[in-house]
Amino acid sequence: MAAVTHHDVALSTTLIFGAVLVGLILCLALEEKLHAKKSLIAGVFAVISLLLGGAFGLLPFGPIITPFGESIAMPVYIPAVDWGVIAIIVGSSLFVDVTSRSGLFTWIAVKLTKSSGGDLRKLLINYGLMTVTFSAVLNNVTAMIIVGSLTAVSLDRLGRRDKLLAFLLAEGLLTNVGGLLTLISSVPNIIVGTTAGISFGKFLWVSAPYVAVATAATLALAARWFGIHGLKDDEREAAAAAVAAFDENDGIPSRGFFRFGAVMTALFILTIAGTSVLPVVSELGMGFVALAFAAVMLVRFRSEVDTFYRAIDWDLIGFFVALFVVINVAEHARVLAVLGEGLFWLVGFGDVVGTAALLVASAAFSSVTDNIPLAAMLAKILGGAGTDPTSPLWWAVVFGANLGGNITPIGSASTLVAVTVIHQQGIELGFTRFVRVAAPFAVLQLVLAVGYVLLFLS
Amino acid sequence: MTRLDQFASVFRSAAKDRFRRRDIAVRDVLVASDLDDETAAAYATRVAAFLADTPGADARTIRHSPRARTEDLGALIEQVADADPDLVVTYRNLHSEAWRWPYTLGDHVEVLTQVTEVPILLLPRFDAGEAPPGGFVPPRTVMAMTDHLAGDDQIVNWAVAMAGRGPGRRVVLAHVEDDLVFERYMSIVGKTPDIETGTARREIRRILLQEPTDWIATVAAALDDVPVEVVPDVSFGHQLATYKRLVEAHDVDLLVLHTKDEDQLAMHGAAYPVAVELRRTPMLLL
Repeated sequence: MAAVTHHDVALSTTLIFGAVLVGLILCLALEEKLHAKKSLIAGVFAVISLLLGGAFGLLPFGPIITPFGESIAMPVYIPAVDWGVIAIIVGSSLFVDVTSRSGLFTWIAVKLTKSSGGDLRKLLINYGLMTVTFSAVLNNVTAMIIVGSLTAVSLDRLGRRDKLLAFLLAEGLLTNVGGLLTLISSVPNIIVGTTAGISFGKFLWVSAPYVAVATAATLALAARWFGIHGLKDDEREAAAAAVAAFDENDGIPSRGFFRFGAVMTALFILTIAGTSVLPVVSELGMGFVALAFAAVMLVRFRSEVDTFYRAIDWDLIGFFVALFVVINVAEHARVLAVLGEGLFWLVGFGDVVGTAALLVASAAFSSVTDNIPLAAMLAKILGGAGTDPTSPLWWAVVFGANLGGNITPIGSASTLVAVTVIHQQGIELGFTRFVRVAAPFAVLQLVLAVGYVLLFLS
Repeated sequence: MTRLDQFASVFRSAAKDRFRRRDIAVRDVLVASDLDDETAAAYATRVAAFLADTPGADARTIRHSPRARTEDLGALIEQVADADPDLVVTYRNLHSEAWRWPYTLGDHVEVLTQVTEVPILLLPRFDAGEAPPGGFVPPRTVMAMTDHLAGDDQIVNWAVAMAGRGPGRRVVLAHVEDDLVFERYMSIVGKTPDIETGTARREIRRILLQEPTDWIATVAAALDDVPVEVVPDVSFGHQLATYKRLVEAHDVDLLVLHTKDEDQLAMHGAAYPVAVELRRTPMLLL
């Protein structure tokens, strides 16, 4: 992105652009009421921002100079976008989508179902661990789609639809815990991690202990809270027969492609993890790795790649692009500088209170609106202030932005998917009831996160 | 939510019905005929020969319901309910001359199949020249026919029981998807802009055939220790014509089919025309 403000900006101008940013955030929070997709909302605000930015003389019009000294004519809104982040999202979405056609993920899911023997408590643990792992390796929306759809089918088969809400809710809440595990697990991680310069390995090393503890605590609380017990002796045979009827090989179109998908998934994770140390690849970045792996997988479907392009979430991509433009213009208008002063006032309460306050505030903000603008804004502010990559403040933003999604049903895309599955199954779960049921879990996870960041990362 | 539907479909498809084996023994048999006592006794012997290889033969009782007790349909129904046999054996157009015109099963058979849960073995008539002149022999090839084979344990368990034990025994599991119904739905799909016609036709056709095929594989696995060959025959076609062709192609000695339909009082789907037209093939009506 372009460098921070190059010119003096009047306070009134900053306030105008601050109002645009607040307007965008409010409209995103009211997305459902407006019946408008977020890409369009952000797109409209990007257009307004660019027009106002041009009118106020804030935008750095002119050619772009490359490291080789070449001058390139480029529209001002192109370098405003963090294309590395876009490349990671597009590449990994494509990779996961094509790989899922190999039947690999459904094979794992069915295997875990069968290994439970139909015992609900084991099933909860298996599905919980699967949710966390899939959220970490794939992304939390895909994880919720896979595990949520399987949960509905398997509990139906076991005749235990009475526990459907408990399972789906626990899984929805665990997607955001799993989304903390790696740098590519969620968009806030990608934005904050790349801005802070945190490597994949370092991210995993720091977040893994928390994810392990939070997962165990969430599952234990879910089992207790919703009364999910093991099987009695006379129930074992029927339950085992019910899950044994699943055929894990049913979704595998070709053994060869299945093995190829498994190998490529392992290689993808290893390469992403080693991006920062691999020669040449480290310069090209994680976005390149994701796109390259997607391209290799697409060769299998070379005559129908357009179907995968259509499946990309273009609303999300359009939203990111427009959001980056709005934030870039806000940066030129010194809005982020002013917000940064407020942020550092909050942080100024001290290492303990300041960090905890930032985490909780991030979570509260993320619970009512999209956590991506928050992450992008705070990452920009912290990065602009030269915050050290080892600072706990980065982690406060990461933990808060991810876990805030568990407070309300609109807090994250994956909880929204969980609620959608719940509604599809004919279970009533409104906003208030979700908040009431999810509150103990959200509080538990946030308390653990604050404790972890303060005790081990400060 | 398209991907949610996609994965839900994958998992629903992976949750497969499995055949549950149940051993059936035919110990108590009631023969309902319109023959006089003397002829009826000889007929009962022929019935015994037909059932000789089926389980329960060593302790089997074959009772004959005399002409006087089967003439009145109400009395026959009452008798079947009271006796509660494992099997009722009879033939088409009982107490009727309508057998000369092969267009019906006759009141007795049509009503009996709907009011009792006891399976009814419908044998060809000797007087109509439909039965083999030398008498009945135990069936070697038994075909179970249905348009919803997957999950239908009862029809297969009966087919296996009727095939009995012995060398060269075969159970043909026939599943015929009605192509007229399929084409009707496909014509609607072709008029629905949101559904890709080619994919819908290809995939629906594939899954319609795959489900019974998978289920038959579980039957074969469950009958691994039984000396009976399980022969799958899953296809699309006009049901009556296809069943007639299959009976001939597989040289079927006994056809097993469902006659009851929860949604109607009349005989189930293709069962009636099959039972009316294939008069030379013994049938077990469930």
